[in-house]
Amino acid sequence: MSQLRISFLLPLLAFSILALIGAVALYSTLSGSRDPTQLPSVLVDKPAPPTNLSKLVQNNSPVQSSVTLASFRGKPLLVNFFASWCSPCRAEAPALEMLSKRISILGIAYKDRNDDTLQFLKQFGNPFQAIGVDQDGRTGIEWGVYGVPETYLVSADGVVILRHAGPLTRSIIDNTIIPALETLGS
Amino acid sequence: MIVEFGHFALITAFILSFAQGVLPLAGASRGNIALMMVAPAAAISVALAVTLSFLALVWSFVTSDFSLALVANHSHSTKPLIYKISGTWGNHEGSLLLWILILAVYGGVMAFGSRAMPMALKARILAVQGLVSTGFLAFSLFTSNPFLRLSSAPLDGKGLNPILQDPGLAIHPPMLYLGYVGLSMAFAFAVAALITGDVDRMWAKWMRPWVMAAWCALTCGIALGSWWAYYELGWGGWWFWDPVENASLMPWLAATALIHSSIVVEKRGQLKSWTVLLAIMAFSLSLVGTFIVRSGLLTSVHSFASDPARGVFVLVILLFAVGIPLSLYAWRGPQLITTADFTLTSREGALIANNMLLVVATAIVLLGTFYPLALELITGARITVGPPYFNATFNPVMALLVTVMTIGPVMAWRRGNTARLKPVIICAACGAILSCLAVLSIGSGFGIGPMVALSLIGWLGIGISADIWLQLKPSKSSSLISRAKRIPRDVIGMWVAHLGIVVFMIGAVGDNLLNSEQVVRAKPGDVIKIANRSVTFSGVKQVQGPNYQALAAQLEYRDEQGRLFAVLTPEKRIYNAERQTTNEAAIRPTLLGDDYAVLGDGDAKIGYTLRLYYKPLISWIWGGAVLMALGGLIAAFGRRRVTKSQPTNAVTAGPLSSASKVGTR
Repeated sequence: MSQLRISFLLPLLAFSILALIGAVALYSTLSGSRDPTQLPSVLVDKPAPPTNLSKLVQNNSPVQSSVTLASFRGKPLLVNFFASWCSPCRAEAPALEMLSKRISILGIAYKDRNDDTLQFLKQFGNPFQAIGVDQDGRTGIEWGVYGVPETYLVSADGVVILRHAGPLTRSIIDNTIIPALETLGS
Repeated sequence: MIVEFGHFALITAFILSFAQGVLPLAGASRGNIALMMVAPAAAISVALAVTLSFLALVWSFVTSDFSLALVANHSHSTKPLIYKISGTWGNHEGSLLLWILILAVYGGVMAFGSRAMPMALKARILAVQGLVSTGFLAFSLFTSNPFLRLSSAPLDGKGLNPILQDPGLAIHPPMLYLGYVGLSMAFAFAVAALITGDVDRMWAKWMRPWVMAAWCALTCGIALGSWWAYYELGWGGWWFWDPVENASLMPWLAATALIHSSIVVEKRGQLKSWTVLLAIMAFSLSLVGTFIVRSGLLTSVHSFASDPARGVFVLVILLFAVGIPLSLYAWRGPQLITTADFTLTSREGALIANNMLLVVATAIVLLGTFYPLALELITGARITVGPPYFNATFNPVMALLVTVMTIGPVMAWRRGNTARLKPVIICAACGAILSCLAVLSIGSGFGIGPMVALSLIGWLGIGISADIWLQLKPSKSSSLISRAKRIPRDVIGMWVAHLGIVVFMIGAVGDNLLNSEQVVRAKPGDVIKIANRSVTFSGVKQVQGPNYQALAAQLEYRDEQGRLFAVLTPEKRIYNAERQTTNEAAIRPTLLGDDYAVLGDGDAKIGYTLRLYYKPLISWIWGGAVLMALGGLIAAFGRRRVTKSQPTNAVTAGPLSSASKVGTR
């Protein structure tokens, strides 16, 4: 009989565990240590992956030059993955334009045709210091890109400070990017 | 004035429902009839007060009273009337009020009807309902008051999320809540039974129509949600194993188990403690669902009104509403144990297998939904559990369930063997083999999963058909019609619902195996080939809607002979007030398959992105769900006449003494 009584306690026990999980998750969400809408990057606080891409060239110039992350060492850098085929990228163009006055931005054209990228820049402006071409998306994999647009803030010594998946909005720039920039002393 | 009146009605409902929760309980335990009589009176008054309050809120939405914070934040003067009305529940506060309204109306209907029920049982059930209402009314009044005024009213509102401005979504939440909240009736029955420690066959008989009604509504609600995701989100998918979908699936699975186990209690007086536990589980899971959706703890494509702060309140409600009954269950449950008087290969055995499989399926969904959260809290790693997990775990359990579904209904109570058992199994097995062979003759290379699913379609479809035929087959003494008249309605309901599963499976397998997809960038004049049809993209047009502007692509569908059979116009809408764009997929649904087109980005120079799908048989998925709900309705409301006229039917037959054998102390 006692064994039987214990089996009638099991539902209560299972529920308590579930409720505990819910309570802890709720507590950590409310205290701000957890944001369910954000996908944290494993790269944060780690060195950015060494990135070496062919540079997007205009007017079919025959010069084959490359763009590397290392060449931006010494000052903070924003790395923005974009593509002409993504509409949120268009939406965030004005935001990037505004940010480009404060920090240099490296654009990475993700899985896009060069002609389309150039057309996109003509139409929506070019806030980028330089643009690397990631046609096969391999660089995207190294950075752990979830989907374009995606933006990373890299410190002067090449460490990823934060990552934002999705288009940059006014409030994200004001509440996340700018404060992070300020802690970097820029 | 109307707004203040609505607010006042809500406060009145709160006080009355507290009285409904406390006084009858005291009355029932002391045998005080006057206190017990409070229950129906209070329940009806609460239902009236909440209805008035809800109507006041609908009125402020219809008249666009922007002095109300909720209306200013979620409505707009240019919105069509239907979306002004549905906007009432297109937000957290309003949908909570709708939830409470349905809860109160269930209580009111119960108070009006159920005259045959013993007064103490009815008083206790209504009291439990009242306590649940009290919790949710407090939630509404203290944290999510829909009637808050703004000090200065804006000229126009902010609008409703355009993705929610959709006829399917206007009725989806009421339907789903009708199901979720309907399970509170089963819950109230279970708690009332645990308070007295007494469950008899009449208890199950009285509870069943409520569970069936809730189950039907929940089935329709889930189907509507899936249908909405199919045509509105523009991905062509119909189920994403998303936390919010899982939250509605778990109570559905538990409720499905409950309607089956309650048959055993009603007909045989067995499985009492288990049925009580299932009734508590079903409603608890719908509360868990509410918790997930409203707190925003898990990210989802379906949640639009989430706020962790509200989660705290829901969690507190959850702790009381689930913790207390489960403690009661741990205390009283052992009293409900009966000695099994049947063999495993019997109707009871098949229904137990059904229950085990459904509970395992519920646990799988629960685990898949909560595991990422638990893992994240322990290790900090963020993972998502998606279709691969569910396909590998959920589908095999469902396959076993479908296997039992053919055999169980043709078994007899207690011992199992009937004259129909052998022929039905033989027919079903032939059906399984034939459907397998039929598919292999069309083409090979299908995976093991789809092959199993196909043979199960044959197994269940032919099995049920054989059962129907054997029961209707004209014999010398009776014609087909006279035999049909003698079949109890709950058996007919079962057939319809189980055939609904066959139809659903045909849709799901057809879409999975045969669906074709084309993503192209096209310029006006381009022709795209998809699934033996050629689609001409003849250009885009500007369209002016009531509260949006749209770009509509013209797609001319031609068959192999070059005959034009349809023009689809997928739209990209820009909603002025909300400054949001949505993609409106254009769908031409037919029984054989849907043509589905989505207009993506682009302009005249570079061309437009077009996503075209052909989805064979997909509409059968929702057709199946409708059949299931229909079967439930037939079984729920057509039963009384049959049991009266046929007291010793084969289905109801069973030693009546088993009811008195059970230990009720």
